[in-house]
Amino acid sequence: MSRSLTRRQWMAGAGALTIAGCASRKPAAETAEVSIVRALAYDQRLYDTVCRMLSDQRLNVRGRNVVLKPNLVEFEPGTSINTHPLLVHAAYEAFFALGAASVRIAEGPGHRRNTLDLADAAGYFRIVPKFEEVFTDLNVDDVSRVRLVNPVSRIEKLYLPNTALGADLFVSMPKMKTHHWAVATLSMKNLFGVVPGGLYGWPKNMLHWAGIDQSIADLRTVFPRQFALVDGIVGMQGNGPIQGTPKEAGVLVAGRDMAAVDATCCRIMGIDANKVAYLRLAAADGGQIDERFIRQTGESIASVATPFNVLPYFRGYRLGAG
Amino acid sequence: MGPEFLLKKQNPDGGWAYLQGGSWTEPSVYATLALLAAGEARAARRGIDWLIATERPGGGWASRPGVGESSWVTALAALVPEERLGRDAHRRAIAWLLSTRGEDTTFLYTLRLRLLGRSPSTDYVHPGWPWTKGAAAWVGPTSAAVLALDRESKLHPDPKVSERVQAGRQFLLAHTCAAGGWNHGAIAAWGENMAPYPETTGMALLALRGVRAPQIDRSLATGQKFLATASADAQNWLRLGLSAHNCLPANYQPPGGIPYRTVPEVALNCLAAQGGLA
Repeated sequence: MSRSLTRRQWMAGAGALTIAGCASRKPAAETAEVSIVRALAYDQRLYDTVCRMLSDQRLNVRGRNVVLKPNLVEFEPGTSINTHPLLVHAAYEAFFALGAASVRIAEGPGHRRNTLDLADAAGYFRIVPKFEEVFTDLNVDDVSRVRLVNPVSRIEKLYLPNTALGADLFVSMPKMKTHHWAVATLSMKNLFGVVPGGLYGWPKNMLHWAGIDQSIADLRTVFPRQFALVDGIVGMQGNGPIQGTPKEAGVLVAGRDMAAVDATCCRIMGIDANKVAYLRLAAADGGQIDERFIRQTGESIASVATPFNVLPYFRGYRLGAG
Repeated sequence: MGPEFLLKKQNPDGGWAYLQGGSWTEPSVYATLALLAAGEARAARRGIDWLIATERPGGGWASRPGVGESSWVTALAALVPEERLGRDAHRRAIAWLLSTRGEDTTFLYTLRLRLLGRSPSTDYVHPGWPWTKGAAAWVGPTSAAVLALDRESKLHPDPKVSERVQAGRQFLLAHTCAAGGWNHGAIAAWGENMAPYPETTGMALLALRGVRAPQIDRSLATGQKFLATASADAQNWLRLGLSAHNCLPANYQPPGGIPYRTVPEVALNCLAAQGGLA
């Protein structure tokens, strides 16, 4: 049977954690710290790079359970649709090195039902040793009911996978991509993958009817112990998240505040974060998207900025478009 | 891997998880049907008892017990022979299917479109079925509902049932990818054609058994090309779908080395080998 828990109960059950602040509905945003690091290729250097990024963020995961949530969408080989498995494995190793008690990789793809086949095609079985043992298909995991606090979407309650809800630290690991409905798909949009297809279908169309931007903003509040690590080594531009073209951005972006990380990614991509609806909603709820209050470490935005092509419909979202 | 895997994976409550954990309706139906076909009467009976016990008060089945809303899996439950599920429960499943349609084809939605000056496209003309009520119709749930209602129509002819079968099939034909075959139900995005998937191509072909249309001819060719796909899910549905049109190569065997990991994958493999799902 599904258990009925509120988000607050999950938080209380997890104890007093130092990983992230509570992301309940609150207007005041604190200064956020976002790391930008150059990474030009998917190679062995990533292991050191990710380790350094996580250390710089001073994450205390000793004895904690960490869940890594990559973005797996389609099988197409040779594309930049999915989060690269080498980056996910680098994070997997890095969190263990930081003392995590357990690290799981978990995803619930939105279009394809055969998740393990998809992960196999994306290279996860080849890169991550004993992949099946450390992976959870969030589409068919056991679920608990979560009541959203003051949702901005039409969703009042959701059934969400216990693996994701039970994480002491939930790490969203998206691909840096443009998106044909949401302008950009980054760590917050990646949260659609936690909504179980086993209950809501493939695609998770209920989220669209509830409002895409609003659903993205609401899902962010479900995971207060959050972290984001964005795969911007090779992203996607144009008609993303599937049919776009690869875009070599050569960066990794990470931080504890998903809104701040996504806003920083938008600026790197040449997109005006202040015009992205779900980021504005997150900003009204404690997320930091104001560049003045995001402390960048590592590279500056200007030094790594590389404009991503957007669909004509979104040209007004380009930085400097007025 | 076959019935013995299903017997081993049956939960104490009589149902099945997809892989592990609590019981869900979809794997429980497939496993029950596979065990019935394999002559494993006792385990199948426990599966049917689980289904009977998990029917929701208003009729229909939720994707898993405890979730307070019936969903597309009601169509799967309706595939269990009515003499085993119980005539009343079966009737309620059919009634739920007849009362359900994609939100994008409801009167209010199409009225709103017209008031906004937008004509409903062909997408909105033929009501298919959604995964959950209140959302749009898609290929997967529409295929399942057509299968269930088509069988009902043959057993208990009823114009209302036949009409929904026809509309569901039209929905599927209208959502055929340009190259043939089906994906989850999106033909194009921003002017670019979307690619079909093997598994949904098999599902839709199964639901379109006996229908002649140019889209089906293209899709059969696409489905045959997809037979090279190294995926249990793809192989299962393609075998079922192509067989329904007598287009599966004679003595076809799936490529070796494909892992069958989940309960649906194993159960559907058994059903495909034993002659079909419905």
